[in-house]
Amino acid sequence: MPALAPGRWAAVAFFGVAALVPVGVRDAYLLDSVILILLWGALSAAWNVAGGYAGQVSLGHAAFFGIGAYSAALMTTRFQQSPWLGLLLGVALSIAAGGVIGYLSNRLKGPYFALSTIAFSQVLLIVASRWRGFTAGSEGIPVPFRPGFWTLGLGHVAWVYMALGVAVLYYAVLVWLETSRFGYQLAGVREDEDAAEALGIASRRSKVYAVTLSAAMTSVVGTFWAQYVGFVDPFYVFSIDLSVRFALNTIIGGIGTGLGPFLGSLLITSLETYLRATFSGMKTGFAGIYLVIYGTALILVVRFVPEGLTGLATRLGARRSRAHA
Amino acid sequence: MLTLERVSKRFGGLTAVRDVSFQVREGDLLGIIGPNGAGKTTLFNVISGYSRADAGRVVFEGRDVGNDPPHVICRLGLTRTFQIVKPFGNLSVLDNVMIGALTRLTSVAPARAEARRVIETCGLGPHAAARAKALPLGLRKRLEVARALATRPRLLLLDEVMAGLNPTELAGIVELIRRLHSGGLTLIVIEHIMAAMMRLAQRIVVLHHGEMIAEGRPDEITRDRRVIDAYLGEEFVLAEA
Repeated sequence: MPALAPGRWAAVAFFGVAALVPVGVRDAYLLDSVILILLWGALSAAWNVAGGYAGQVSLGHAAFFGIGAYSAALMTTRFQQSPWLGLLLGVALSIAAGGVIGYLSNRLKGPYFALSTIAFSQVLLIVASRWRGFTAGSEGIPVPFRPGFWTLGLGHVAWVYMALGVAVLYYAVLVWLETSRFGYQLAGVREDEDAAEALGIASRRSKVYAVTLSAAMTSVVGTFWAQYVGFVDPFYVFSIDLSVRFALNTIIGGIGTGLGPFLGSLLITSLETYLRATFSGMKTGFAGIYLVIYGTALILVVRFVPEGLTGLATRLGARRSRAHA
Repeated sequence: MLTLERVSKRFGGLTAVRDVSFQVREGDLLGIIGPNGAGKTTLFNVISGYSRADAGRVVFEGRDVGNDPPHVICRLGLTRTFQIVKPFGNLSVLDNVMIGALTRLTSVAPARAEARRVIETCGLGPHAAARAKALPLGLRKRLEVARALATRPRLLLLDEVMAGLNPTELAGIVELIRRLHSGGLTLIVIEHIMAAMMRLAQRIVVLHHGEMIAEGRPDEITRDRRVIDAYLGEEFVLAEA
């Protein structure tokens, strides 16, 4: 378990700053960045439940994101219902799908599990892009903007607080996983399933619970994301890029830690936004350069700070306290 | 407390355990010896639920546990350690033992207190904050025992907790096992180190090629012709004499 106290203060500072931004800033571009940092952070936190705490590294979490996004978009456009109902439907579907994926993790280990999750998200991509009559196929679904809380038609400031609410809630889930009985048992399962069994822990069931929880959490943010952005494109919401992004934010920030996914999201989302803005005006040859820088950043982190940003902070903190002693 | 009735386990054409029957009564300290490949660990795997017997019955406290998974058997009060130690490597010693304690205790604070007590009992006190994978082998073996103890077993199976230890560590763990036994714990111990086994066990079961070739008090076992031929060798008998 990582050291607790300093990390909790860092979290208070992180979420506190996010809460204060809309007070002084009305710039839509900056508010948009804050919303995205929080949403991507929450998605990475959701991924972390399975990938970090349960040790089940999925590269198909876009499946649950897409389920949440589509459930809400279809609920509003096809059935003229509230996206909140879509959110609930998405959670229900993701619990079912997450249970199946979690069960698979008992049969398929490590890379085989990761591959099976990719396959699952690709199947959903094919369904969403081919079932034209219902999902509008590859054209995607524009989500109409109807002002109001019940319709999730919110302004930028309200969205900051919505995203912040989810982010804080998900952070609390991760803290719970670090401090609760279930969390300790899950850590045991992650470290060694056989040893955990000998200590009375139902290893397989624990993993299924963790993956299912992770799936449901991902789906909720998928719904919010779709309502915020206002468009659901199957090739985006079910893409491997997205799945990889959840994992990368978490790995860069600190896998298996509470604040890690949010720090990773802060770094990667702002870096991407900045690079995209900087290079988008240049010749088309530079259009993809942010991907090169993005990739380089990842390699540097994995090579030099494999425990991520939170681990780096802990290491520096330990060095300083030793220097004082 | 534990009864094995004609237990057999086959892997393909190889019979790892054949028709093994014995009883363990409350308060026993039973030793299991035999050459490498005799089926000792396989027998432990069958008893603790890691593999299913192909024939025979395993009855613990009147319940047939032959089809129960390990976590259920642990909650019934029977747990084991692993010959190749399986610490939760990235967690501290305290967290390792706490995870064991959380099997009986549902909240974290009492489990931590219990884990501290068990860690002291097992002589791991100074290492409570250390990462499990950073410990030397002798202490990792102790951690296996501590973690299992934290689940409050009534019957504990120890799989070669003495192998690979230096004489000081060995004396320490023999002393620990003796203390646990006199505290009322029932144990089955697999071990290769005969000297230690002679001092510890009340009864010894000898396995050879998966079959039980002898059962008795340690002094009876060392005089048994078949045991000498299969396992101990003439030198042992001469050295003991």
